[in-house]
Amino acid sequence: MARPEKASIFQRVEGLPIIVVFIVILLLFMYLAPEVFLRPFQYTTFLSTLPPVMLLAIGLTFIIGAGEIDLSFPAVIGFSGFVLAIIFKEGQDWIVSATETPEGGFLASPLAAELIRWGGVVVALLAGVLIGFINGVLVAKIGIPSFIATLGTQFFWYGMATVLSGGKSYALRGAEDSTVWRTLVGRPLSSSSVDWMQRLPIQSLWTALIIVFMWFVLNRHRFGEHALFIGDSNPVSRVVGIDVEREKIKLFTMMGFLAAIAAIFQTMEVKNYFGNQGQGYLLIAIASVLIGGTSIFGGRATIIGTVFGCFIIAIVEPGLVATGLTGAWVNTVRGLIFLISIIFYLHIDQPHRRGALFARLTGGRASGGGGPADNQAESAAPSRR
Amino acid sequence: MSTIKILLAATALTTLTAPPALADEPLGKGLTMYFQMGGTSGDGATLARENGAKAAAAAFGIDLKAQYSQWDPGTMINQFKDAVAAKPSCIEIMGHPGSTAFHDLVKDAVDQGIVVTVGNSPLTDLQKEFGPKGTGYTGLDLYAGGALTANSMIKAGKLKAGDQAMVYGVFSQAERGLSEKGLADTLDKAGLKVDRVEISQEVNSDPSLGVPILTAYIQSHSNLKAIGLQHGGVTAILPEALQKAGKKPGEITIGGADLGPATIDGLKSGYISASLDQLLYMQGFMPVVQCLISAKFKMPGLDLNTGAGTVTHDTVGDLTKLIDAGIR
Repeated sequence: MARPEKASIFQRVEGLPIIVVFIVILLLFMYLAPEVFLRPFQYTTFLSTLPPVMLLAIGLTFIIGAGEIDLSFPAVIGFSGFVLAIIFKEGQDWIVSATETPEGGFLASPLAAELIRWGGVVVALLAGVLIGFINGVLVAKIGIPSFIATLGTQFFWYGMATVLSGGKSYALRGAEDSTVWRTLVGRPLSSSSVDWMQRLPIQSLWTALIIVFMWFVLNRHRFGEHALFIGDSNPVSRVVGIDVEREKIKLFTMMGFLAAIAAIFQTMEVKNYFGNQGQGYLLIAIASVLIGGTSIFGGRATIIGTVFGCFIIAIVEPGLVATGLTGAWVNTVRGLIFLISIIFYLHIDQPHRRGALFARLTGGRASGGGGPADNQAESAAPSRR
Repeated sequence: MSTIKILLAATALTTLTAPPALADEPLGKGLTMYFQMGGTSGDGATLARENGAKAAAAAFGIDLKAQYSQWDPGTMINQFKDAVAAKPSCIEIMGHPGSTAFHDLVKDAVDQGIVVTVGNSPLTDLQKEFGPKGTGYTGLDLYAGGALTANSMIKAGKLKAGDQAMVYGVFSQAERGLSEKGLADTLDKAGLKVDRVEISQEVNSDPSLGVPILTAYIQSHSNLKAIGLQHGGVTAILPEALQKAGKKPGEITIGGADLGPATIDGLKSGYISASLDQLLYMQGFMPVVQCLISAKFKMPGLDLNTGAGTVTHDTVGDLTKLIDAGIR
């Protein structure tokens, strides 16, 4: 009886292939632009700009792992961001006007203003949950393919944000004085004597906690297991007793919730609602997930891979600009990194593909197959990385 | 005595040869500047700015780092943060995100000794606050630029009270929207019936997406006499939209902005009546000069109005070669 092949280190350590790619790229930029990448400030900047993309990519990891896709999250960034901004900026005025509260009344007080702003945060989260829930119902109950359903809802909710906002942007002057800002995106170590520590944004801590939590959900909780079973095979999932429709609704609702958090971080960080916010995140978030090693076919997902995929996508532009290449090269380089990462991951992480490649290069026979068809029979159980 | 003579001769020789040696060193040597160019590299509303900035950087020996945001305010903010993290000597930004979004970030940069200057679209509050630290502005007086375009349209198209006009612009953007507002208000004052239509972010980033929108609008408004714009990219695609809508040159008076190759063709063919020339090359060149004089000589920020006037069918001929070369 043949001895089972021992898993390589790349298979045993989650996300290791993409971590290696990231380290190579980072070392390259450190060598080419040491004045930027050997100092802490670029990294503290990433900590303030990356959280929205990270949250979107983490949610997409589950969605793609379940064999679905969600294209509506940019619209959640727009719609939830608008809801937060309008309540934050004008909520108290509306309430005071509607209730004819006199000056000095509670509803006109600074405390009420703070409570209303927190209420705006809650409403923005609920808006994201609603959008996600509707997506889930469209996909799971009505049976519209997720690509089409979420493309449609993307247009709809984006349009609603534009209609309700009148196409205008909203500046949130004085936001940094509110408890909402200080709690969600403030700089808790601003009084530190160390320059870079003063700049540490608290949303990076919240995002890290969410990422850890989501890792446990994917890898240690039944919900994560169900998501990957569904991604592997819907019929088999039903046979083993998984309520596929219910789980899909939960998945898309969770995605809407995470996108709403991203919208809140984004809007509070820049202290503005821009009419087009979120639009630039669509391809970046999806690319981060796929570079990280989550399978586009479903059944395999990795949170750590997604995190490092985000790092790779984020580092390219500042790295290229710092090394003197014009920013026009950014998308070209991102595309190359994307393809190289995917190929690297496939060949390192899947021994039969590695064997087939080696055989082709040396003119020998492959051992254990290696064509695309083998991918389908690779494993009957869903795999987490 | 002979020693003194030798010393005097050596001193004279050093004095005579030192200035040329020192003069060989570029004025901006050692300075690094991050520059937000605006759209995408090479597009009609960005090319001349890129060329101006690169020319100035080459002339003064400044290390220029170009950033492209596709006119997205959120991207501009993130790129500014990346620039500050690199701790350059200077950063050029644009006003599209607005003063509220930029204020704390610019203050932090200025406190670190980075010169921050503004181009293309103003940040009036920040220019006032940080002007002594080198925050200047190179660009149009936006409202006046829009008004100038409108007056050129009225003259070229012999527009009169009661005529129907559409102004297609980014009214929603802080300060940047003043340009469209100036244009629309001036047409209002002349008695025209003005319909204000917002440019979506998709069209803002990729103006070719505006062709079907404009074609549909033109065909559904048979009495339309004029279209005013202050978006260089959309100006360039307007002749195509008019052709697709079955219009001949001059049927609708068009006032636009900037001077890309497609806009030149539009001016020559008569589809475009007038285009605001905001001297994009200067919007690239002068912020680099601002960087030099502020970072090196601690001079305050300058306010430079690059609104030169409008180019029409009659005046475009002389400028064609310069426009094709990405200078005008």
